[in-house]
This record gives sequence, C-alpha cells and structure tokens, in this order.
Amino acid sequence: MTAHLARVATALGLAAAALAVTTSPAGAAPQPMGQCTTSSGVVLAVDFSHWGGPVYRSCGTTPTTGYELLNQGGWATTGTGHDGPAFICRIGYSGYQGGKQYPTPQQDDCVLTPPASAYWSYWHAGPGADTWEYSQLGAMLYKPEPGSVDLWIFGGTDIEGTRGRPTVTPGQLRAHNDRPTGGGQPAPEDSRSAPALPPGTDTGPAPKRPTPTPSAPVSPSPSTSASPSPSATATPTPSASTAAPTPRTRVLDAAPAADAEHDAGSYLPAVATGALVLLVGGAAVYAARRRRRTE
Amino acid sequence: MSRSTVTAKPPAPGLVPDTRGRRLPRTLHPVAWWIWALALATAVSRTNNPLLLFLVLAVLGYVISMRRTEAPWARGFAYYLYLALTVVAIRVVFRAVFATGITPRDHFLFSLPHIPTPDWYAGIQLGGPVSLEALLSAATDGLRLACMLCCVGAANTLANPKRALRVLPGALYELGVAVTVSISVAPQLVQSVQRVRRARRLRAGRHKGLRALRGIVVPVLEDALERSLRLAAAMDSRGYGRAGTATRRSRRMTGALMLLGMCGLCAGAYGLLDATAPQLLGLPALAAGAALCVAGLRLGGRRVTRTTYRADPWLFPEWAVAGCGVLSAALLFSGAGFDAAELNPSIYPLSWPTLPPVPAAAILLAGAAGFLAPPPTASRVPAQRTEETT
Repeated sequence: MTAHLARVATALGLAAAALAVTTSPAGAAPQPMGQCTTSSGVVLAVDFSHWGGPVYRSCGTTPTTGYELLNQGGWATTGTGHDGPAFICRIGYSGYQGGKQYPTPQQDDCVLTPPASAYWSYWHAGPGADTWEYSQLGAMLYKPEPGSVDLWIFGGTDIEGTRGRPTVTPGQLRAHNDRPTGGGQPAPEDSRSAPALPPGTDTGPAPKRPTPTPSAPVSPSPSTSASPSPSATATPTPSASTAAPTPRTRVLDAAPAADAEHDAGSYLPAVATGALVLLVGGAAVYAARRRRRTE
Repeated sequence: MSRSTVTAKPPAPGLVPDTRGRRLPRTLHPVAWWIWALALATAVSRTNNPLLLFLVLAVLGYVISMRRTEAPWARGFAYYLYLALTVVAIRVVFRAVFATGITPRDHFLFSLPHIPTPDWYAGIQLGGPVSLEALLSAATDGLRLACMLCCVGAANTLANPKRALRVLPGALYELGVAVTVSISVAPQLVQSVQRVRRARRLRAGRHKGLRALRGIVVPVLEDALERSLRLAAAMDSRGYGRAGTATRRSRRMTGALMLLGMCGLCAGAYGLLDATAPQLLGLPALAAGAALCVAGLRLGGRRVTRTTYRADPWLFPEWAVAGCGVLSAALLFSGAGFDAAELNPSIYPLSWPTLPPVPAAAILLAGAAGFLAPPPTASRVPAQRTEETT
C-alpha cells in the first residue's frame, strides 16, 4: 500500500513538474488561403454543418501531417482517452464559436473510440482529383502532398462506402490559383520550422510525389454516383479566390489565428481531494484500530 | 374495503436486549451489499477523473474497515488491491509499447526502441517516444477499471457469498451449484492463498521467486478444486440440482423459455449498444427476452418448493445501504449540477483535473453505508477456525 502511495505521489509530482514547464509554441506554418496554389500547400477543410456551421478551409505548407494541419493556426483537436491524441475525436477552430471543440462533451465524452455512426471521418483529394478518397491512414501518419485537399466531416460511414460521403466536392474547396495571391510574399516551400520531434518518432510512410499533371482528369461524370452533388460545377476558374458555394453548405476561409490560450487550471482541487482522501482514509484506519483493540 | 391493517407489534420490552444505545450487531443482507457495490461500479464507469476515482477507493476502504466481518473471505481486500495495481500497470505498459503518437506539444519522457512496420501496416506502431500525457491517460484509464474491480472486491469482502445463494429464484435451483461456484471462486481463492501462506510460514518455508510460486500455486489450485467439490456435494445433499416433481415436459418448456429469453436479452443489448443496428433489435427484443425469462422462471419455480431456515431480514439498513449506492450512481448519470466534461478531464493538453462538487458528494454519500449498516457480529470464535476444523 505504501509503495502504491509512493508511486501515485511520483506520478503527481511528475505531472506538477510538467505543468510548470512552459509549453513550446506550435511551430507549424499556417498560411492565408491565398498562399495555397494548385501545386503547393495543402488545403485543410473541416465541415461543421452537423452543428449548423459552415465548412472552414485553411492552408498549410508541406511537408506536414494531417495532424499538424489540424493543430496550427487556431485549429485544435482532442483525442480520446483510450487511443490518445492520434484519434481525432473533437475539432475546434478559434474563429468559430470561440474555439469550442465539436462534438461537445455532452455529445461524446471522448473516453472510448467513438462509434462508426458519429465520428470525424478523414477524406483526401489529390492534386486535380475530383473524387474523395477515404483516408487509409490516421491523421498523424498521413502526409498530404502539395496541392491536395484534406477534408474532415462529421457523421457515420459504412464499410461499403455508400454512406457518409462528403457532399462538397474537392473543386469547391481546392485552390484554383496558379500562384499565390492576396499580397505578401509567396510562401516558399519547406520554410516551416516546426519544433523537432522527439528521437525515434515514426512519421509514417514517405509522402507520394505529386503527379505533375494536375489537369489530366477533368471529365467528372455525375452519373457514376461518386460525387452526390452533381450541381457543383468543377470547372477550374483560376482567378476565383473563394469557392462557389452550394445552397446547402457555406465555404468560408479560415484565416490563421492565434492558438487558444491553454489554461493548466488550478491545483487546489487536487489538494482538496488529497485532504478528503486522507480524512476518509484516517477514519478507516481509526475504525480498524478500534476493532483490533476490542477483539 | 374497511378491513383494518394489522401493523406489526413492536417486540415486548423485556425481550429487547440492553445494547446501551448501540445497534445490535448483525450481518447485512448480502444482496444489499451487492446492489451497493454494483451501483458504485456503475457510477465509476461514468468518470475518468482521477480525483473522483481516488475518492471512490478511499470510500471503499472506509466502508470495508468499518463493516467487514471476521470471516475468512472478509480479509481479502488487499488481494483485490494488488489485482487493481496490476491492471493499471498493464494498461500503462501497453500504452507505452503500442505508441499512440506524440505531438510536439507533449512532454517527452523516454524513448523505446522502435520496431518499424511495413507501409501497408502503418496503422500500428511498436515502440517509439513516450510522452507523459500518454502514460497519465493510460494510468487514469486503468485506474477506472481498477476501481470497478475493487467495487466487486468490496462486495465479495462484505457479503457472505453462501447466503447470497438463498435469494436465487426457484427455477434457477438447477443452476444453483454453478452459480455458487462462480460467485464464490474469488473469495475461495483468496482463502486458499491465505491458508497456504500460513502453512508455509509455520513450516518455515523461506523460498523466494519461482520455487515459492510453485509452492503456492499448486496447493492453492488443489485446495480450491477440493473446496468447490465439497461445496457441490453439500449442496447436492440439500436438494440442489434436483428436478423435484417437475415433469419432463415442463422442464423442457422451462429450458426453452429461458434459452429464448436469454437470446432475446443478448440481441437487445447488442441492438441498444450498436447504433447502426435496426431499431427492432433494441428495446423490443430486450423486453421480449425479459418477458420470456420471467415466464420461464415462473414456470420452473412453480414446481420447486423449499423452506428457508432463519431467513435474512430486509429492514431499514438494507434499504439505506442499497439506496445510497443507487442514489450516487443516479446522481452521476443525471448530470445535474455539474458539467459532463468535468467527469472526463482532458489530458491533452495537460491540465489539473477539477473536483466537481455534485459527483464528489455523491461518492461520499455512498460512503454513508459505512455507518448506515449495522455493525458486524464480533464473534469470539472466528468462523475461520470452525471451518478449518471440519
């Protein structure tokens, strides 16, 4: 029992020490949407329409991972207690509802892996591709190629791939400009200086090289039922800076924002609980002593 | 309609022994302890907050030290604690080995040798860097399971496993032996370990390590098997496992009803838990299964007659103990007066957990069983001795 207590005390001490250390800032490179072009940068899109919100899209530099894209420029995610941060359970953006992460704790407590009927599913569309592809890798292992689109939608999917496909098309979300727009310096590729990962981190398989023919597959056939919104015209308009919205979903550009301030909270509840546990435990020890005396 | 109800007469003053203001010691109904413990385990399943979980452990320790008897199975709570520690340790080791990814924001602790997996198997990682967050979240996850385990351990410690059998429905008499053996296997193992260890100490057995393990495990298994057989024989001689006067047809009918009912219950539980299952599989199947089971129990119980010698009473303390357990579970599930997020504080990013007042009060309320239950009988001759002489 004393060994147990000692171990607990060590764990708490470690936690306290870790809380005291200032966290290093997330150093990935979020970009204004205009910096993403057909061949550079990755567009990240998150669909909040399940909660009546818009589809936000933002831009990030490569190389990156799906997880890094979702945790920079005001975006933040929460994992599950069972699977760790690699399983994206909640997504929030500081510019939407004050950075509140969805689904809310009332909708999903994010302790166990969420059910297949209500979770954030991850979709890719490579450069120039017109259909969404369900991600075969987790957010931490997937490395999007330059010019591709990453989409997160909330809902349910089935194994056949008939349910839960995105209603927006890649053409609505991707960047159509050949060169960076919106003023400022064009973001040079690979200029990002993220903090070094700890040694031995597995960063997954190498990213696929971008195919240099972004205009090859330009004949989407709506009758193949791959994209359920045939009304969206996927004709590339190189000068458009915002995507053509459909009546159902609004697509908004999410400007890079500061990360929401993280508050480590107060240690007082822990101390209070410690006192309570000591009190109850003391009562138990007293009862045990008295029982031994009367025997 | 105008019949007057006859109220139970209080016992004559001369018959009440003078207890000097203290309550008469007696053992609580075992079902009350089981309801209390299972309700507390249900409440624990709701939360991942380490502060609440430690509070649950403290409450369990308090109630056990206040109200456990001197029976051999009542001395085994420490073994459940060891088991709980093992659960936490296994959970932490698994989280460290099957890495769940580390982000630059996490607090890096150490790195395990990384075993590369092929590209087509990249979903699973072996080894790699381990963060403080990963270990802490694994520890709290394990602590929750450990707490539930300790709740069941508390029920085994506080309730007499053999008296619990008396409340078994008549139709389950045929299964009675199996049920008793299964619910008393943990207490029996604990007793066996205690007896073998005492015997070893008496013979000055000073072996350590594997040899000591062999010296304990073999006698414990042998002892447990022998005791189970003895228990089965004793129950057989008391008429358990007999078909009674039931005809072959009614027995088959009972069996079919029970089997169908159990299938209905399983399908219903599956339908309720899996959101993609058809609606018909949920509550309707559960209700149909329950109805079939009740019908089977009724039919089977009609043929079995039995008498009980000195039945355990169900009085106010039983209501109070079972009620405070159920109330604490209901409070934690109601979500009234607190934020559901406080029950499952986030470890990523690392922050101190909060102590929501309502759940904390609910758990302390469950601890009221420590003084709501009557004091245990302090037997001069411990039950252990009498049992060992048989």
